[in-house]
Amino acid sequence: MNRILAISGKELRLYFLTPTSYFAFAIYILMSSFMFYVDFVTYQPSIIDYRLILSDMLFMLLIVIPILTMRLVSEEFRQGTDELLLTSPASVTEVVLGKYLASLGVLMMLLVCNLVYPAVMSLFGNLNMLTLWLSVLGVFLMGASMMAIGLFASSLSQHQMVSAVAGFVLLLLFWLAGSMTSQNETLSAWIEPFSLPDRISNLTKGVINGPDVIFYVSLAVLFVVLSIQVIERKRWR
Amino acid sequence: MLEVKQVSKKYDGGRGVQKIDFSMQRGEIVGFLGPNGAGKTTTMRMITGYLYPTEGIITVDGLSVHDEARKARSKIGYLPEMPPLYPDLTVDSYLKFVAKLRGVPAREQKLRVAEMVSRLGLNGRERQSVRHLSKGYKQRLGLAQAIIHKPDLLVLDEPTSGLDPSQIIEIRSLIRELGENHTVLLSTHILQEVGALCDRVLIINRGELVMDGAPDEIGARMENRFAVTLEVGGERERIETVLGRWAEARGITAEIRTGPPEAGENPVTSLAIDGSEANSSAASTAAPDQDRVSEKGESIMSSDNTKISTIEKTHSENPESLALSNTQISGSVRALLTAGDQQDFRVELFRLLAEADLPILELHKENLTLEDVFLKLTSDPAASAAEDSTVADKPVSLNRSDGAASSETTDSPDANSGGERE
Repeated sequence: MNRILAISGKELRLYFLTPTSYFAFAIYILMSSFMFYVDFVTYQPSIIDYRLILSDMLFMLLIVIPILTMRLVSEEFRQGTDELLLTSPASVTEVVLGKYLASLGVLMMLLVCNLVYPAVMSLFGNLNMLTLWLSVLGVFLMGASMMAIGLFASSLSQHQMVSAVAGFVLLLLFWLAGSMTSQNETLSAWIEPFSLPDRISNLTKGVINGPDVIFYVSLAVLFVVLSIQVIERKRWR
Repeated sequence: MLEVKQVSKKYDGGRGVQKIDFSMQRGEIVGFLGPNGAGKTTTMRMITGYLYPTEGIITVDGLSVHDEARKARSKIGYLPEMPPLYPDLTVDSYLKFVAKLRGVPAREQKLRVAEMVSRLGLNGRERQSVRHLSKGYKQRLGLAQAIIHKPDLLVLDEPTSGLDPSQIIEIRSLIRELGENHTVLLSTHILQEVGALCDRVLIINRGELVMDGAPDEIGARMENRFAVTLEVGGERERIETVLGRWAEARGITAEIRTGPPEAGENPVTSLAIDGSEANSSAASTAAPDQDRVSEKGESIMSSDNTKISTIEKTHSENPESLALSNTQISGSVRALLTAGDQQDFRVELFRLLAEADLPILELHKENLTLEDVFLKLTSDPAASAAEDSTVADKPVSLNRSDGAASSETTDSPDANSGGERE
């Protein structure tokens, strides 16, 4: 556990020392506040409901997460620091979990940034707190699974850009799973359950649906395990 | 301490290492030599657990690097060829991270980091980011990273590459210091480094271990000739005739070099290598040695004739030879004498020249340097196979030469083997 914390501490520190993450945060805040302005201020009458701006936030995650996860593993390979990590007493599982933990920390920060908007809304009327917090939980779960996918993409290549693009493509596939197959009913019945944004709708309605939570958690576990396997495999090259 | 048992690693490209087998005792400093791509880094990566071997077992203190990875790895400190540094972290935070990662107890971490900083001369740079360190300091930080958890075994992959001479000296003295408490395996392709640091040398070529022994021992083991450089004072013609007659009778190759000693030094050593190669090739092809000697003698004579004028010229310019003429020595001749049979002929030579009243100004035994050994072992496979055969012949040739010396016949392997047949 100490080693996991050591690695996630190092990763978080690096997040705040590299310009890429500031860039990602800047894009995220700029775009989401712009969308908030369009949806809440210029669109009249102003409806006091967090869910109205939630879809914007989810869309922003699709762009920001690959940028935030791309360096997690790629950069280690490129700098040769994987030799330090893989020859240390820490196992690959500990290394990957440490990195994943750090990415969850960053996700929390993104969510906190986003809470500014409901705070502004609450100045103008009453906000339904239950749907707000359940929506935030839903976004966290979805973001956590997306971070795992990004982490996996990062372990595939030692070039950050390749990792970012691979991560984006993977996320896009999960994102569009529902709408891609809407023409064919039997196919969509198979594919639709894997759609990332569709699973969040129950939570935003104030209902915690077991399968939805399990879907996000198992997706995250699957991709963390895959990342561990990809890195472990390099020892056998 | 470290046991590498029949370890192989196969890559897709067909490179890799085959059946590497060696062990290291506690407190040893072992140099790992080999040309680029021979498999040094692969072997070191397998020892440190970065790569798993395709076959074979590696144990550190009896712990398998593969099966008891965590325990085994905590006993190893590893400095890869490229120091594994995070350019964005500061020196302090980097070392703290490594200390945590390597499981240094929490209350000792601060102390250990401070110890590393002062020990490796990183004082005043704790807050500097790694990116802005110079190459030498990066290397030191890399070394600090490898020893922060006080490992039993230290594996260093080319620790002095890319450093300037003063930094190299510093790092070397550090390694020597570390060798007192740790077992060190270091790879390099700087040969003097091995001589300066190591108790033992492993030479690897094309993925196979080709030599294992102490640096000075290796030279002797590979030696299949006896060579001395000689400087004799006196008249040129007399020396030539005296030496030439004796050399021919003893079957010794005499190569008479001329010119000022400083300039003459390099050609002599290079010729020494040439000579040995000529010997070995002659031995392997079993050509009649007698012919070779006489051929050489002729060629030497002819080259001398053309060079006499230049000697005289250089001697008149050379302050050392002026000093010599003050002590009433009219001139001097340098010669390289090579016996293919390892017979020590120095006493004989001294008596010969003393009788002829020719003073020996300098007599130096030519040793096969580590460079020569390295080149011999790592040159193309056909040549090294030939070398192996001559090495294998060596004890036999020793016996023969004893017989040859007593009977005062030539030392040619052909003639000797003929004698053996009798």
